[in-house]
Amino acid sequence: MTGADPYRRRRIVAALVLMVGFAAVLFRLFSLQVLQAAELTLKADRQHRKAVTIEGERGAIYDRRGKVLAMNMEVPSVFGVPASAGNPSRVARDLGRLLHVQASEIEKKLRQERSFVWIARKLEPEQGRRLERMALEGIGVVMEGRRFYPKGPLMSHVLGFAGMDGQGLEGIERRYEPYLRGAKQSVVLQRDALGRTVFPKGPNDLGPAPGHSVTLTADEVIQYIAEKELEEAVAASHAKGGIVIVMEPRTGAILAMAVSPRFDPNAVRAISADRWRNRALTDAFEPGSTMKIFVAAAALEEKVLAPGTLIYGEQGRMVVANTVIHDHDKSGWMTFAQVIQRSSNIGAVKAALSLGETRLHRFLTAFGFGERAEIDLPGEAAGLVKEPRDYGRRSLASIAIGQEIGVTPLQLITAVSAIANGGWLMKPFVVSEIRDGSGQLVFQAVPQVRRRPIAPETAQALGAILEGVVVVGTGSRAAIPGYRVAGKTGTAQKIDPETGGYSPTQFVGSFVGYVPAEDPRLAILVVIDEPQDEAWGGVVAAPVFRRVAEQALPYLRVSPREPVKLALAAQ
Amino acid sequence: MKTLAAVAVIALLLLFVWERVEIIRVGYQIERLKSKKITLQRERDELRVKVLTLTSPERIARAASEQLAMVPPRQGQVILVRVPPAAPAAPGPGTPEFRLARNESGDKLP
Repeated sequence: MTGADPYRRRRIVAALVLMVGFAAVLFRLFSLQVLQAAELTLKADRQHRKAVTIEGERGAIYDRRGKVLAMNMEVPSVFGVPASAGNPSRVARDLGRLLHVQASEIEKKLRQERSFVWIARKLEPEQGRRLERMALEGIGVVMEGRRFYPKGPLMSHVLGFAGMDGQGLEGIERRYEPYLRGAKQSVVLQRDALGRTVFPKGPNDLGPAPGHSVTLTADEVIQYIAEKELEEAVAASHAKGGIVIVMEPRTGAILAMAVSPRFDPNAVRAISADRWRNRALTDAFEPGSTMKIFVAAAALEEKVLAPGTLIYGEQGRMVVANTVIHDHDKSGWMTFAQVIQRSSNIGAVKAALSLGETRLHRFLTAFGFGERAEIDLPGEAAGLVKEPRDYGRRSLASIAIGQEIGVTPLQLITAVSAIANGGWLMKPFVVSEIRDGSGQLVFQAVPQVRRRPIAPETAQALGAILEGVVVVGTGSRAAIPGYRVAGKTGTAQKIDPETGGYSPTQFVGSFVGYVPAEDPRLAILVVIDEPQDEAWGGVVAAPVFRRVAEQALPYLRVSPREPVKLALAAQ
Repeated sequence: MKTLAAVAVIALLLLFVWERVEIIRVGYQIERLKSKKITLQRERDELRVKVLTLTSPERIARAASEQLAMVPPRQGQVILVRVPPAAPAAPGPGTPEFRLARNESGDKLP
């Protein structure tokens, strides 16, 4: 028997097995830690870290008194992961019932070979909560910012609206998009094995900056008054539509801009693009007799005529360039002031003829016709003012009575405001200030003078004539007891697109004026498009002016001229 | 001496591990509070939209006329009185130049 170790062989085998085993582990370790290090680190990062782009909240829009007109709110959006949806038809049925969508449509989406599909976006908060309770397989909910217009259709044509991805598409939302939009920031989220986020941001990281808030010059209450009165007048006269603009003549600030028919910016997808258009500044129309204001302004400024100058009314019939111009009344001699007050076409034509083409054109452009008023809203039209070289034989006469000229309602109210404002033509504006997310003032609007088309004395003389329009002339229905009103009526025939001539049945009735005449606080334009029964501006539009002003004046705390008991004044 | 050093090293290691665990735990707590904050903010926004919708002039006017049978004052039912500027101002800011009152002597309300 030798002393040899009987287990030596076994020990060697065991040692070898262990060594090979360790070598294998070491090799694997080496391979993972060194050879594949870069690739695996990337893979792990991808699983644990997720880069997402977060956008700051879109800024709110306020009226002049700080009432919210547009704001953002996080609402649920539903998505599907087709690969995880075990039973697409059952899931689609349940979802369809909740979302009020055809189940077949959802099922079609869930059977697509894609990793992610949107099912419905920007739902009501309650729908999201119910969805989360249902916990459907392969269906997820994420929160997205949705634009809300809490006042519904109020001021919709001024506010405009934002699209599905929060980009401004119309109105203030579009014009002030760079300010309203929140900043974008890329953030790396860390996730644990269960997919929960850990430390998405450092404690001092405040996230992306929210958008700026925009405050308008418009007032919710005056806007409501304007919209209510306009809607009632449009309905009562069976008109196609209408416009009311309320402006502060001294500054050019817009207090209200109502366009009928209205639309609800919360449900804009169901409405045709034609309804969104802010026709108060995108569409030009032939103004009719309201143009006589500017013929008178030019004649007075150029001292061609004075308010007391006598003009012969030709007994209501005058031939100009082989066409006949009629008057409503068969007048004989009348003063120039009476020409405006009675809205005599013949008197206005005679005034324009004595001014001549060049001078009249100069004043029309000085009052801002034919050029954009440069209001801070998108889509403004320049209107149409012919150059004197393009005038036909009748053009001068036509322009004097508001034909052959296209003006936007905004241009008209801005020009009338200049008369109310001692001759200063202001630049109209609708945004008064912009503040950043922390409330710091970024922009503040200051009233801007464009030019002074007429002297203060001319404005005053013209103001007195325009007061007469309301006291003794065609605008008597615009009179407000206790206040002095100045204004002018207008009734224009529309051009028939089929014949190319003036339509005998389609009219635009308007009234434009300001109040109180001695210290104008409000300039108001009312346009009623295609009223059915009575089309006269003095009948369809002047009462709207009165009703808007008599409600807006006490609201703005504008005292009447003298202490007055309206019951006595009305008698 | 050696034992003391070993204990110290182990204690330091445990402290390090405890610190890491605590950071993670507090991190989760922060996350929970953050998501609660977001939920509450959403609820606040939702209520704000509701309040704003309910206080719109259009809705108030409708409620006033339909539910409370209120009507806008007709001519003669409002007396406008100018308060002389020299008169001592009533307490409170923004005293208006005139006051509104109902015409008690005139016609009756419908």
